[in-house]
Amino acid sequence: MIRKLLKLWARILGTVRNESRDTEFQTEIDEHVRLLTERYRRQGMTIEAATLAARRQFGNITLLNEDRRDMQVFPAIESLRADLTYALRMLRKNRGFAAAAVVTLALGIGANTAIFSVCYAVLFKPLPYAEPSRIVTLWERQRDGTLSDVAPANFVDWRDASRSFSGMAAVRASSFASSFILGGRSEASRLAGGDVSSSFFSVLGVRFTLGRNFLPEEDRPGRNRVAILSNPAWRDRFGADHDIVGKAITLNDDSYTVVGVLPADFQFGSTAADFQARSQADIWAPLALDPQRLQRGSHTLRVIARLAPGVTQAQAQAELDLIAASMARVYPDNNRDMGIAAISLADRVTATVRGPLRMLLGAVGLVLLIACANVANLLLSRAAARQTEMAVRVALGASHGRLAQQLLTESLLLAGIGGAVGLLVALGVTAALAPHLPPDLSRAAGMAGDVRILAFTALISLATGIFFGLGPLVGMRRISAGESLKQSSRVAGASHSRLRNVLAVAQISLAIILLIGAGLMAKSFWALTHVSPGFRADRILTARLSLPRSRYPDNRRIAAFERELLETLSRKPGVQSAGLATYLPLSALDNGWSFIVEGRPPLPVGMYNMAKYRPASAGYFETIGIPVLRGRSFTPADTADSPWVTVINESMAREYWGEQDPIGRRLQFGAETWRTVIGVVGDVLHEGLDGETKPEMYVPMEQAPNTESGPTIVVRTALDTAAAAGELRGAVAAIDRGIPVDRIQTMEQLVSGSVAQPRFRTVILAAFSMLALVMASIGIYGVMNYLVIQRTREFAIRVSMGATRAEVLRLVLSRAAALIGAGTCLGLAGSLVLVRVITGLLFGTAPLDPLTFAAAPALLAGVALAASYLPALRATRVDPIVALRYE
Amino acid sequence: MRPAIFFAMSKGKSDGHKTSEVLQGTLDLMILKTLHAMGPLHGFGIARRLEQLSEHVLHLNEGTVYTSLLRLQHEGWIAAAWGASENNRKAKYYSITKSGLKQLAKETEDWERISGVIGRVLRLASQKP
Repeated sequence: MIRKLLKLWARILGTVRNESRDTEFQTEIDEHVRLLTERYRRQGMTIEAATLAARRQFGNITLLNEDRRDMQVFPAIESLRADLTYALRMLRKNRGFAAAAVVTLALGIGANTAIFSVCYAVLFKPLPYAEPSRIVTLWERQRDGTLSDVAPANFVDWRDASRSFSGMAAVRASSFASSFILGGRSEASRLAGGDVSSSFFSVLGVRFTLGRNFLPEEDRPGRNRVAILSNPAWRDRFGADHDIVGKAITLNDDSYTVVGVLPADFQFGSTAADFQARSQADIWAPLALDPQRLQRGSHTLRVIARLAPGVTQAQAQAELDLIAASMARVYPDNNRDMGIAAISLADRVTATVRGPLRMLLGAVGLVLLIACANVANLLLSRAAARQTEMAVRVALGASHGRLAQQLLTESLLLAGIGGAVGLLVALGVTAALAPHLPPDLSRAAGMAGDVRILAFTALISLATGIFFGLGPLVGMRRISAGESLKQSSRVAGASHSRLRNVLAVAQISLAIILLIGAGLMAKSFWALTHVSPGFRADRILTARLSLPRSRYPDNRRIAAFERELLETLSRKPGVQSAGLATYLPLSALDNGWSFIVEGRPPLPVGMYNMAKYRPASAGYFETIGIPVLRGRSFTPADTADSPWVTVINESMAREYWGEQDPIGRRLQFGAETWRTVIGVVGDVLHEGLDGETKPEMYVPMEQAPNTESGPTIVVRTALDTAAAAGELRGAVAAIDRGIPVDRIQTMEQLVSGSVAQPRFRTVILAAFSMLALVMASIGIYGVMNYLVIQRTREFAIRVSMGATRAEVLRLVLSRAAALIGAGTCLGLAGSLVLVRVITGLLFGTAPLDPLTFAAAPALLAGVALAASYLPALRATRVDPIVALRYE
Repeated sequence: MRPAIFFAMSKGKSDGHKTSEVLQGTLDLMILKTLHAMGPLHGFGIARRLEQLSEHVLHLNEGTVYTSLLRLQHEGWIAAAWGASENNRKAKYYSITKSGLKQLAKETEDWERISGVIGRVLRLASQKP
């Protein structure tokens, strides 16, 4: 083994250090010849005769040197170098061919690399924690299987009872998360807060950039004025102050001590969309649950846990099932029928994006296959043109293996260049895509240049090169010197043209599949964006207000501010109406509550009436365009002191009162005062345009408990966004300079953001299908072009025998139609199977949508026939005299 | 005449017939044996020794000795080192290595077996007429 390596090394050295060896060897030979000459001289020869005799006896020195080089130089490397030089020369000579192949490959490989880099970042890249696969999320599982956030009391009980975890921690769900107003600055700014139990960061295994984690004793009410900064907040708000730990900062007019700074790569989320920068908390503070007042009815916590060493997730789940059963016995009111679900954090984070990304990965794979087929086709035309060259080489003694090596070198060189250009394409595409990434793919930002991506590109380039390089090898076996040289280009090989037909048919069928997929996606995206959301999104500006708790401690103060703000706004020219709400549709913030209806028998234990709970001000419905169907909406007269009222939505009215009129009925939410139903409004698609409508109940802002997240203001205005935003800031500042206004966006932006992911995948798939359409058309053009060249003589004979141009045209086009037809049938058959994969991604569109299944093949057939028309036209212009002269 | 064919063939890979492999090996074998018997020698010395042993029957192109030496070096059967020749000139000395000794033993055995077989066959043929 070692000797083999040494030999290999010697040969490699041989290629590198040729020169010094050459001279050494020459010295040795010269010495030998000199000694021979000397000997002949001693026998009495003249110098000339002796030299001649010595040379004769030694033999051919040049030949010897060649032999030596053959042996010392690594033959494979040497021939590879020759092949590469030759291949490069061929490419330079056939620039058109080289450009076509490289562009095709670069597009195919580039698209694959770009999609792979997104998939890698979002699906495969480990989350930025220690041993992320050991982290699970824990959920309350309702009887119907839905998962919900965890009630604080349940979290504490689980944590105390379980043995399967080395740590369990909670973070408040984002709808309820704190927001902090950073004080001590000229302009008030809002920081997104995260409320976590003390072990949160140690469960994740975070290594702090500065300082330390929260201490257990800091996780208690009264001791909890400590904060941990996210790295971006530390950098942007505190100038990356390295001495920040131990300093006091003002948050919500309270003094907090900074105890730590998180690393730059730290992100946390329990869904893919949580990982966008704006959803990340800036400041983390202890959750500080009050042990005396733990709730079991409000589900506000996200729970994570780290599996203890040696414990499997199944074992942990088994223990959790036991805990759930015992808790159902102890707290039947709240926990009957409640299960506990452990889901790996990574699975949870990728759950919503796995389907779309797999679809895109599959689609881009098809694009690469089509590109391969295209290049294989190009190479086959080249092979046909090079038939004579190959035959000459065989005649001169090249083995078939040697020819195959040459051809494969050329393919790999093409693939290599294509891959290199493709990488540039991919970098360009990912850079261009980065700002348009939907929120749930935001982990893909900043992916470029990862080693694994480079490796992927290299790998698929290699695979591609071998794959399409195999094409021309087929049939090459048959090349025999005599025949090919005799018959010149006509014996281009029946196997070659059969292979070309197969490739063209394959391209068309793959393109059909992509077109149908893209058609279905486009149609369902159209359906999605044409769903009526239940409100009017045009000309509405929204913004979030954060009221500092210290100056707005109760509803009365908050209500006074809100009333004043609405009045100020209503006096502004250009503002048509304005209103406030806590949870805006499509904002991903929501809250639900259980209630009872007056006069109805109580529900069995563990059963609840659930409805969404939405505080809204007077003017909200009118501003956002939610129609009032019955009764009235809120007015400024609905204050904390007036009778408590509620406005319900259509779904709730139908579900609880059916045909009866709900106006005047009373219901009670949680432990609130009884509310009278005063109106019914239209349903709103709150969770997403593809979501369902749920029972909703609106309450006047002044009659709602103040929630952690500040109110959102909606303004219907004739002004443009910037001007309206200016007016809004001005109005808020006129009342209180210390109230930050952020997340200013139009309702249309909110709507468009909510469909960002479907739009992203639709646009990408559409681009792929267009690419496929073009490539497949080029493919069929190539095949038909080749056919026409090959059968020129035949057409000439036909024409000279009296065939009309129309007949020749029909002859060629019918051939094209046969190929297109075969490809279309195969493609449709393939689509019937593959469409099942994307059924889950469709909205308002049948998987076998007849329009799509008719339009896609029609489009492709039209374009492909048009592409075949050019060669067909050339066939009709064959001049029999010119064509037959060569016979 | 025969020896001439022998050594012309030993030129190497110019064609791929099996017979040349055997013949090519013949010179290699002779050189290995020479180095084994005589100890380290330079190329000229090897050529002289072969000339002497073949009693001037073989007329070999002495350049082929070097082809053979290179091949043997590549196989690791001989090693080369620069030294001073008898008349104090710089010369490259070749010596047989351990694996060269093994190879020599093996080749010798093969050769004897094959030449034995060929000898028998030829004798058989000459009895017939």
